[in-house]
Amino acid sequence: MNRPSVYLHVGRTAARSHLAYLGEVAARATFLTVLLYIFLQLWRITYAETGADRLGGFTLAQMLWYLAMTEAIILSAPPVTPAIDQDARTGGIAVHLLRPISYPFYRLWVALGEQLVRFALNALVGAVLATALVGPAPLAARGVAMFLVAIPLAFTLDFTAHLGIGLCAFWLEDTSGLALLYRRATMLLGGVLLPIDLFPAGLRSALAFLPFRDVVYGPAHLFVQPDGDFLVRLLVRQATGVAALGLVAAAVYRAGVRRIHAHGG
Amino acid sequence: MEAAIQLDNLQKTFVLTRWRRFRRVRTEVLAVAGITLDVPAGQAVAIIGPNGAGKSTTIKMLTGIVHPSGGHARVRGMVPWLERRRLAGRIGAVFGQRSQLWYHLPPRETFELLARIYGLDRERYRRMRDELVDRFALGAFLDRPVRKLSLGQRMRAEVAASLLHEPEVLFLDEPTIGLDAVARQELRAVVREWNRERGVTLLLTSHDAGDIEHVAKRALVIHQGRVVLDDSVASLRRRYLGSKVLRVRFHEPPAPFHLAGITVVKSAGSALKLHVDTRVVAIERVMTAVLKSGPVADIAIEDPPLDEVIAHIYTRPPPTAEDGAPA
Repeated sequence: MNRPSVYLHVGRTAARSHLAYLGEVAARATFLTVLLYIFLQLWRITYAETGADRLGGFTLAQMLWYLAMTEAIILSAPPVTPAIDQDARTGGIAVHLLRPISYPFYRLWVALGEQLVRFALNALVGAVLATALVGPAPLAARGVAMFLVAIPLAFTLDFTAHLGIGLCAFWLEDTSGLALLYRRATMLLGGVLLPIDLFPAGLRSALAFLPFRDVVYGPAHLFVQPDGDFLVRLLVRQATGVAALGLVAAAVYRAGVRRIHAHGG
Repeated sequence: MEAAIQLDNLQKTFVLTRWRRFRRVRTEVLAVAGITLDVPAGQAVAIIGPNGAGKSTTIKMLTGIVHPSGGHARVRGMVPWLERRRLAGRIGAVFGQRSQLWYHLPPRETFELLARIYGLDRERYRRMRDELVDRFALGAFLDRPVRKLSLGQRMRAEVAASLLHEPEVLFLDEPTIGLDAVARQELRAVVREWNRERGVTLLLTSHDAGDIEHVAKRALVIHQGRVVLDDSVASLRRRYLGSKVLRVRFHEPPAPFHLAGITVVKSAGSALKLHVDTRVVAIERVMTAVLKSGPVADIAIEDPPLDEVIAHIYTRPPPTAEDGAPA
């Protein structure tokens, strides 16, 4: 494998390149404004109707800050699957294979670079909105620090799943359906709209075996309720998920590159 | 001379599968049917052939991107598909329809990234970048985002990017596709210079006869995955079609003359352009007839345009072993 500094430079280049898409990123941030406002109204009514101060352990302010972070994460996901799908189906992967570099790691760092730009803006907009709607964050520097520690592996885990799906393009005509399923599953089962703590116990247990909650719920939960043990467990789960999905993606990649001939001449 | 590229019965078969009446049908397509070839270091070789002849597949096998179905190949002593990442540092490639430049960033940023990927030290990188900027005239747009470059500028930057790590072998797959005449000429000139001055081995595919004529010394014609002709570009043009173009300017309008094997392509006053089929009539006989028909002010004998040669080869059935064609 190449020196880590090479991949860091790939990420830096991708981030700089993605700054050209600031208009698109800003449009997503506007969408985030609308989403957060709607969720605030829904949760206000829910808290008022139940008469509870806390739901699933979250106060109303914590809930909105939690949602601001989950939305910032989910809306910052770069289009990994379409890029890999295109590389595989059109033969564009050839350009990357000409270099003394690992294609999956190259794509990972391109994704991380892009996601950094998107996430920074989304998180900023989310924080400003949440402050305006429910007041300053009910959080400590400890929560922010734990959140930032959990985020890189969350992004890597999400990327690894997308990598596996995108590489299926060596066999499938189109992977957009699979990618859509995965994204929807992440939204519904990852705790984007609703913290996992509010899910039925049976579903919560089942989700423990899936990676979705470690991409979204875990980091956002740490943001509003920092907990050292939770962080350690999350990092272990994320690392295990990356390793497991990484092995699958590596096997798909190894089999896929032998089929390049059939894709793009 | 040491061979930079060696192919020994290199083959590639694609398996296409499709569903027919709930049954999966597998069809084998022979893309490269067994190519044997040596390219000495420093030689510029053009691979010519119609679409689907196996040109790009051959290049992709030699760059380690595509795994062959049979046979062997070595590029600078390495088996490309087994040692792809090690070989990558010693070869460069440009695929005319694919870009390695970052679309929203200036070429300089891609060069910086490539320098790190290829592990070039800063001094070597700056020296090569400056030389390429100078040779490829990139200075005016080195810091302009690629999306704002013309296609000609972009291709110059693409080729320069592929040379940054000083590859010993350069593969060019249709590098001038879509370029206008001026941009094509500029690109050919710098590639030719690089080949001749630096001794870089070149393997070029193109449908543009000008690319082959101006860049390559040797041409391989591939038809249905086989090499049907392996000859020098000059000899290919001279011998293969068996014709010449004769341009004559007289002091006064010439007397009409008729000779089997001669076609008047153009006649304007005292100037004539003739197509001579040398298989029917010897060029000396034609010259004698021309000189008899009027006072000649100027005369030029040209080889036929390579376009014509290539078109002729494409439409001709592949020669058999009895024809004496290389396998």
